[in-house]
Amino acid sequence: MAEKPTKRVLVIDDASLVRRYYRDALEHAGFHVEEALNGLEALEKVMTAPVDLMIIDVNMPQMDGFTFLQAVRRQELPLSATPALVTSTESGPQDFAAACAAGANFYLVKPVSREQLAEYAAMLCGVPA
Amino acid sequence: MSEFLYRRTGMVFTEAKRFYVERRVVERMNATASGSFASYFAWLRSDAQGEVEHFVNAFTVNETYFYREDYQLSCLTNELLAERLRVKKPGEAIRIWSVPCSTGEEPYSIAIWLLENWPKVDEYEIEIVGSDIDTGVLEQARGGVYGKRALMRLLPPVIEKYFAPVQDETWKILDDLRQSVRFTRVNIVDPEETRPHGQFDVIFCRNVLIYFDDASRRIAAENLYENLAPGGFICLGHTESMSRISPLFEVRRFADAIVYQRPVEGVNG
Amino acid sequence: MPLIRKTPDPLSAAPPDLASVATAFAHGTPEERWVAARSAHDIPGSARILAEALIRERNPRVREAMFTSLACIATAESVEMILPFLRSDEAHFRTGALDALRAMKGTVSPYLPQLLEDGDADVRLLACELVRNLPDDEAARLLCALLEAEREPNVCAAAVEVLAEIGSADALQVLARCEERFSSTPFLLFSIKVAADRIRS
Repeated sequence: MAEKPTKRVLVIDDASLVRRYYRDALEHAGFHVEEALNGLEALEKVMTAPVDLMIIDVNMPQMDGFTFLQAVRRQELPLSATPALVTSTESGPQDFAAACAAGANFYLVKPVSREQLAEYAAMLCGVPA
Repeated sequence: MSEFLYRRTGMVFTEAKRFYVERRVVERMNATASGSFASYFAWLRSDAQGEVEHFVNAFTVNETYFYREDYQLSCLTNELLAERLRVKKPGEAIRIWSVPCSTGEEPYSIAIWLLENWPKVDEYEIEIVGSDIDTGVLEQARGGVYGKRALMRLLPPVIEKYFAPVQDETWKILDDLRQSVRFTRVNIVDPEETRPHGQFDVIFCRNVLIYFDDASRRIAAENLYENLAPGGFICLGHTESMSRISPLFEVRRFADAIVYQRPVEGVNG
Repeated sequence: MPLIRKTPDPLSAAPPDLASVATAFAHGTPEERWVAARSAHDIPGSARILAEALIRERNPRVREAMFTSLACIATAESVEMILPFLRSDEAHFRTGALDALRAMKGTVSPYLPQLLEDGDADVRLLACELVRNLPDDEAARLLCALLEAEREPNVCAAAVEVLAEIGSADALQVLARCEERFSSTPFLLFSIKVAADRIRS
């Protein structure tokens, strides 16, 4: 059976400990992880090299997660169709609605556990369970 | 500490660079008479006396020389100018700004590169302006005299073509070229000083914005935005990113470089 | 017959005043609003007008210039004009407000203790980031005080994130107690462990 290429995940969060936690969980689950700490840096990264999944926090300096996601969705294919998992501290309806409007594929409320993250990452990357 | 530097400047210090980082920390601890790493780190975080710039200096090869970061010059002739030409009116000059220009290597490099590498160089009027806050370096820039190190990336035929040897190991830019670059003094944080320069097609603003404090960075970015024609481009230093500076500009990825652009619709969009 | 308004050259017009700035915000083109936003910080009394215009402003670049002006005004009034945007439902306003407050370090510090006790968890969370800019002892003291009483794990996480960088041995006990209270929140346990390790080394 041919070896499948490793799925690449871009973790976008301004908190270094969140990025580290996600990196641990995702690398353990066999993903390649890239990081960005705000939407602008994330945009530069996805324009430089495509990824299979973007995990996007909402509150970040310079460019928030929704503004970033909208910018990605305006790009050309295939970049514009990159799966997006939005994470937010808000459990209320506003951020969820905004996430849908911005083009998110999934939404998780922080704090996210390792298992949750790995499971949803696999699902959104099309990795068999 | 690497997390702080990554957040502040965007630079990533990998394990491979660890030795150099540690050595630099020791150097700076000595220079700042810091009794402990903790007190130095606090000093660095407060950016007292421009410590971030002092620290990072060792990693960004701050020395200036001709054809430094030439991947951006390639991008200029391969991509940026073509885009700008599509919107230029007949007879409209192409304007390029090098700021800060220091002792002039950058603006003269741009001029020489265009003459050597841009097939359309004779078809358009090109205006190159070099600006700096330091009048001392501007004087040197106008003088156009350089030593061996500054010329180290230039091939001998290029040196031969654009420079005349002066004394041992110094060369002077030929007068035609020297006089074709205009040098001005500017503080990029002061819009009264930046606005009179007008709008440019391309701005090279390398290795300065990242060292400003938060407030100054915002103002300088807004000033430079005004100094760009709609659709104009701004290039930062190799290790710099607008993600640490300002959200005003669009990101453009070209084969040779990541470059930032003022949107075509002006302030719109 | 429609009135044709000649667009004045924004850069050569008479020096702006409150009235002209307010007019530009209400009726101007994006370019005019940009110019008005940038010039507003030099005009006494403009903080309120900037804040009111910000709420309605749809152009992100004009908003950025408005926030910059508010940050440059750097008075208690301008801080108070910005603070409500931290509570906005719109993420870009929260980001804009936080970035502006970050550029006003000295002026915003007196507000941090009350922001850290705000009834809105999201405000407390964002305030932790601003505490980073205070002198280390003061920042650590405020964050430790928050951690002792805080019930929201995300707010604790934000405090721990900053303590990981600036905390000293004094913070270790507080972190340990936080760890006990949140023993069922894996991410927080992870963060506290990393922060404590970093402080100890």
